[in-house]
Amino acid sequence: MAEKSSPAARCMARVLSRRGFLDDMFTGLMGIGLLDLLARDVPAAQWVPGQGMPHFPAKAKRVLQIFCPGAASHMDLWDYKPELFRRDGQPLPGEENLISFQGKNGPLMAPPWPFKPAGECGKYISTMLPHLAKHVDDIAFIHSMTSKSNTHGPACVFMNTGQTAEGFPSAGAWVSYALGSENRNLPTYVAIPDIRGEPPNGKANWSAGFLPARHQGIVMAAHRPVRNLATPESISIEEELATRRFLNFLNRKHLEQRPGNSELQARVAAYELAARMQLSAPEVANLAAEPASVHKLYGTEDPNRLKAAYARNCLLARRLLERGVRYVTLYCASRASGVDGLLNWDAHKTLKADYQRHCPILDQPTAALLTDLKQRGLLDETVVIWTTEFGRMPTRQEGTRGRDHNPDGFTCWMMGAGVKGGTSYGATDPFGRRAVENVTTVWDFYATVLHLLGLDHTRVTYYYNGLDRRLTDVAGHVIHDILA
Amino acid sequence: MSMYCFLPTPCKRLAGRAFVAWGRAPDSLAAGSWLLGLVLAVGIAGPLEAQPASRPKVDFQKDVAPILRRHCLSCHNKEEQKGELSMATPEDLLDGGYVVPGDVDSSAVFELLVAAPGEPRPAMPKTGKPLTQKEIDTLRRWVAAGAPWPKGMELTPLRGDANWWAYQPLWEGDPPQVPEAPPAWRKNPIDRFVYARLQAAGLKPNPPADRRTWLRRVTYDLTGLPPTPEELDAFLKDRSPQAFEKVVDRLLASPAYGEHWGRHWLDVVRFGESNGFERNIIINTLWPYRDYVIASFNQDKPFNRFIIEQLAGDVLDPHNPKVAVGTAFLVCGPYDNVGNQDPVQAAIIRANTLDEIIRATGEAFLGTTMGCARCHEHKFDPIEQTDYYAWYATFAGVFHGEREIASPQQREARLQKLRPLWNEKGRLQRQRDQLVGRVLARAEKKRTSYEAAWTREPVSRYGTEERFPPVEARYVRLRVLGLDTNPAARTGFRIDEFEVWTAGPQSRNVALLSAGATAEGKSRAAEDFADAYTAQRAIDGDFGTRWIAAGPELVITLAQPQRIQRIVFSSDRPRALPPTHGYTTFVSEYVIEVSLDGKRWATVADSRSRRPVNQPHLRHRLLQAEMTAEERRQLEQLETRLAQVQRAIAAVPPLPRWWVGQMRSAPGPFHVFAGGDPQKKADPVVPRSIAVLERTAGKYQLDAKAPEGQRRLALARWIASDRNALTLRVLANRVWHYHFGRGIVATPSDFGMMGARPTHPKLLDWLAGQLRKSGWRLKPLHRMIVLSQTYRQSSAYRPEAARIDGTTELLWRFPPRRLTAEEIRDTMLSVAGVLDRRMGGPGFRLYRYLQDNVATYVPLDRPGPETYRRAVYHQNARAARVDVLSDFDAPDPAFACPRRAQTTSPLQALTMMNHQFVLDVAEHWAGRLRREAGQGPEAQARRAFLLLFAREPDREELQRSAELIRRYGLRAFCRALFNSNEMIYLD
Repeated sequence: MAEKSSPAARCMARVLSRRGFLDDMFTGLMGIGLLDLLARDVPAAQWVPGQGMPHFPAKAKRVLQIFCPGAASHMDLWDYKPELFRRDGQPLPGEENLISFQGKNGPLMAPPWPFKPAGECGKYISTMLPHLAKHVDDIAFIHSMTSKSNTHGPACVFMNTGQTAEGFPSAGAWVSYALGSENRNLPTYVAIPDIRGEPPNGKANWSAGFLPARHQGIVMAAHRPVRNLATPESISIEEELATRRFLNFLNRKHLEQRPGNSELQARVAAYELAARMQLSAPEVANLAAEPASVHKLYGTEDPNRLKAAYARNCLLARRLLERGVRYVTLYCASRASGVDGLLNWDAHKTLKADYQRHCPILDQPTAALLTDLKQRGLLDETVVIWTTEFGRMPTRQEGTRGRDHNPDGFTCWMMGAGVKGGTSYGATDPFGRRAVENVTTVWDFYATVLHLLGLDHTRVTYYYNGLDRRLTDVAGHVIHDILA
Repeated sequence: MSMYCFLPTPCKRLAGRAFVAWGRAPDSLAAGSWLLGLVLAVGIAGPLEAQPASRPKVDFQKDVAPILRRHCLSCHNKEEQKGELSMATPEDLLDGGYVVPGDVDSSAVFELLVAAPGEPRPAMPKTGKPLTQKEIDTLRRWVAAGAPWPKGMELTPLRGDANWWAYQPLWEGDPPQVPEAPPAWRKNPIDRFVYARLQAAGLKPNPPADRRTWLRRVTYDLTGLPPTPEELDAFLKDRSPQAFEKVVDRLLASPAYGEHWGRHWLDVVRFGESNGFERNIIINTLWPYRDYVIASFNQDKPFNRFIIEQLAGDVLDPHNPKVAVGTAFLVCGPYDNVGNQDPVQAAIIRANTLDEIIRATGEAFLGTTMGCARCHEHKFDPIEQTDYYAWYATFAGVFHGEREIASPQQREARLQKLRPLWNEKGRLQRQRDQLVGRVLARAEKKRTSYEAAWTREPVSRYGTEERFPPVEARYVRLRVLGLDTNPAARTGFRIDEFEVWTAGPQSRNVALLSAGATAEGKSRAAEDFADAYTAQRAIDGDFGTRWIAAGPELVITLAQPQRIQRIVFSSDRPRALPPTHGYTTFVSEYVIEVSLDGKRWATVADSRSRRPVNQPHLRHRLLQAEMTAEERRQLEQLETRLAQVQRAIAAVPPLPRWWVGQMRSAPGPFHVFAGGDPQKKADPVVPRSIAVLERTAGKYQLDAKAPEGQRRLALARWIASDRNALTLRVLANRVWHYHFGRGIVATPSDFGMMGARPTHPKLLDWLAGQLRKSGWRLKPLHRMIVLSQTYRQSSAYRPEAARIDGTTELLWRFPPRRLTAEEIRDTMLSVAGVLDRRMGGPGFRLYRYLQDNVATYVPLDRPGPETYRRAVYHQNARAARVDVLSDFDAPDPAFACPRRAQTTSPLQALTMMNHQFVLDVAEHWAGRLRREAGQGPEAQARRAFLLLFAREPDREELQRSAELIRRYGLRAFCRALFNSNEMIYLD
């Protein structure tokens, strides 16, 4: 992004920082803190949202969410089911005539690749994920996840917002609302879509819903700068500076005549933050600043174009986290296409071919990101969560070599700050059909994430249309078994 | 699935009434002691503290239960049990030692209800008002009396009941007298109500705003646009007593009024022009509803009529597009159209779709959150599950989709044009079929001889191989002449790999990207991921990806000339799908050619000697082989004429076919779904009125077999009845809300327990009564409001008044507001002189619409002049973010938006400073300023201030403006003004 930004923008960045322009121009706010101005949602009571105040001491300061849209198959990646290998081609006991999302199901289907034990904990992981397998000693797997919907759109939004309908705030927006920003120059919540496009239901996944708009995820990626970030080419640095000075003059004069209106001040402050973002966002996206060894670790130069693109986004994610971005969601794959399983993990027809395409994209770059976070000590303050919409059926869809949607059991995982590594929590039945042990909801999952951030999920609320709303709806229990 | 509530929105209870666990519980009592307590309670006076002897005995049901229900049960109820404590029944209270029957001092509960020294409030209740001393005394007396709890009684959280303020008939008293008020405040009844309330709070109103400010305020308020300098001038010069009235009448008569107030209504009804959810496909036939809303406001259609049309316009006047279009209200919300083969899931999706309609209706017209009663009785409002399912029965026949709206005469007129064309078409088709039949009959007799020439295997999706003598080639071309799904079609097939193998030993596939080969061929487009289906997919070495052809040719260019002798291609090499699957459509007839220079081609293989792959293919082969030249000519002639007739048929103008819903009969019986689960049918229900409102609004009940349309009509008439005070209140409040930025009830779509209470209940009722008197027309109400002194006040801030009423809800000043997203965009275009004022018709788009199975909306980097219309005409797709509009809180219509957010974010600054739209409009404005004010920077600045701020600049402003213009030109100046606070904040 920095390497691609306009000459004017780059030049301006230099001029602005050299002249101390920002400080010079925006000190007119008379003792009113910027963050304070931009973070007023409710009158102060005890706990104040958006002020970096947890309810109790936090284990984690920020969140990295890795989302594999399309419903990445639990039993082909994380949830080892020897019974599936043994009974390949036999009917699924008790559900011989199973009708699911796309219709009839055939017999059980073995995963195309064997599983091997990994790490000291000896966790069985698909051999398609050799790099991620090296991290199992730090990971807490939750094998008993369940979803409310068997359809990608609602389920994707459910996994991100705790509601199947659109229009609710995503977890990142809730965290932004609850804790506010950890930095002065960058967004609080960043969503990094995949180069292949947006996930199912697109922007609803990083929406602020009914929360104030500033809590929405700001979209950026290595292949896509923040929208409207750069000053247009046709405007010289001098013109830009003169325009801002004039604007500042107008606004200050207007403000002086209207005491007691904090919104006017807040808008001036928002212009300040925007100007800071114009400097900081290109800087954070300047991956060229990283040494070659780091690029190699992530695979940013890989001949597989899709893998390289995702690897660059992984690297961007680390740079954002490092600079105090509170919540980063990183997508690996995108929406439903004209051919299931082409653009995302939705392997209805040809699971083997599809996952041969998707696994290598995910594996090395993600593993590198985890390694890098750990080496830099960032993992001590960051909780990493891996999520997907739902799982897949142990059977194959009739007449195909793929699996249909399964909301009744799937795997998500967590690692990092406050998480007990090498853990497997909950379980599906021997075929991976249903969660049967410690059945876990998306609300439990986020109750736990909020807990790690020092937040009581029942107290992070916002009134909207008849109710004090929560990320965890009216449910959610912290999963203590996976906490360190 | 059964473990979940089926409701898509949280509703089980007040989600945020968060209680941390209670402190350490005192030693528990044995469960048996409760009984003991009950027994002992009889005849025990038990006052552990001095009580006047005259105090009446505590009655649990009458005195205690209401306190517990009001303060405790919303969290400590049977379902929620915050802090592991349910107060639905007495067991937990006893077990935890919170209540020790007969022993007030040992009962831990009282420590929690009274604030500890130094604490601002007691530990409980966590939120809401602490208990009053009187309430605490009642509880003490109850505990002292042995804490009797009637056997089997289970408490639920307090809900509203028929006595709730919003369910009462309208108050019909006179406006208060305010003799102390300034004379101007004693005329308009609105002012008398407001003044009286201010007075009660010890407040006085602000003096009137200056004329300029009022004009800018009222012009935006009624039309969403700034006043022109000419309008300002005329008003300032008009010293007649009617000057203000004249402005208001002019504005109310302007078509811009309907555009602006229609937009408000579109917020309320969650109007969105795509279906939302995963596919989010755009809807192109919903704009007539938007135009209908605008027209209804402009003609001041009685609102009761407007309501009825929106719920049942198709029943009132089925063939009149202007009326029947109203039911688009029912189907302009989001719905899931992905489809689900799982019948249990499919039933839930259908129930979700109806739920969306039920909620939209309840909230828009009745300010009632009906959705909360889907799974259980409403936790806060007296809405029963049977009320909810009575509406479910009412709307059960409504389906999303388009319908043709036309009278029998219109249909007949159209048919008269079509019939001869259809006849002609039939005649031609018969001739063609006869011709084909004749040829095929002949061919059938010679079939064996034809078949003799078809010696090779038919094509196969799993792998089709051609071998030929080694040949030198740089280019390999596949020309497709037919598909296996349709022998006459030449494109739409898929190829997973197309391999070209070299001659000689160690033969290798050279048609690979990795070997430096390239592939060209038209393909299905996926703009957001360009490589999804391109021809490269046929040589990427991955059988999981496919080229989806959009043309009949594939040309492969090898890295260098090669001697080749074998080609293998397929659409499903891994044999993953049955050979008829739609994902792997393949070729049936083809030619393969090679070339060294890309100009001269030589055929190396074709499909002629293959056996046909299926029956249609066989027919096609026989037909082609047997037809004489004359027959071929005849057939071509027939096809040409058929195509002509087809074009003529298409040219007959269609009847209006709009997104107004498809109504199907959907007969009963209907049931309550226990827990909201469609699989759990409980008590039967019939379409009928909401029970708790019947006392005020009247009552109706239909038979379960009542026709579908009659069910909706009955509901519509009941909602829009003169007796329905709730509807009138909700409507009057919405009007007030948009004038003052805040309703008398601050939650315009929630008049229930969880909503806000009215700040001026009598004023609200009086306004509602006015509405009824004026025949449900809004314009008289607007007129009265904007001409009031209340509305005319200045917005000046007074710290001493703000200390009493910080949110300005009592209206001691006019509450300043930010312009809406639409107002901001319309203002820029308007002052720049480029706002296209054409009304109605299909909307414009600020995004590029991409559809590849699902839809993607990509915001435009440079919206052209075709988008320079009022924002109300934007085709509002769900989940599409479009710069200026989205940044300034134009709602994403996932839900209704009864109250716009008004946020401030850095994204707004980035958009307003850097988006090309702002620069373009600034350029247009600069042009206008040059035209209208000449070349002098001072005159230009003056004109600009007048246009945008409706005022003259002061000396300093003028000087600095001129400076900027001289140095950097007018565009820089215009861009700065577009970013100013003064533009978007209204005094």
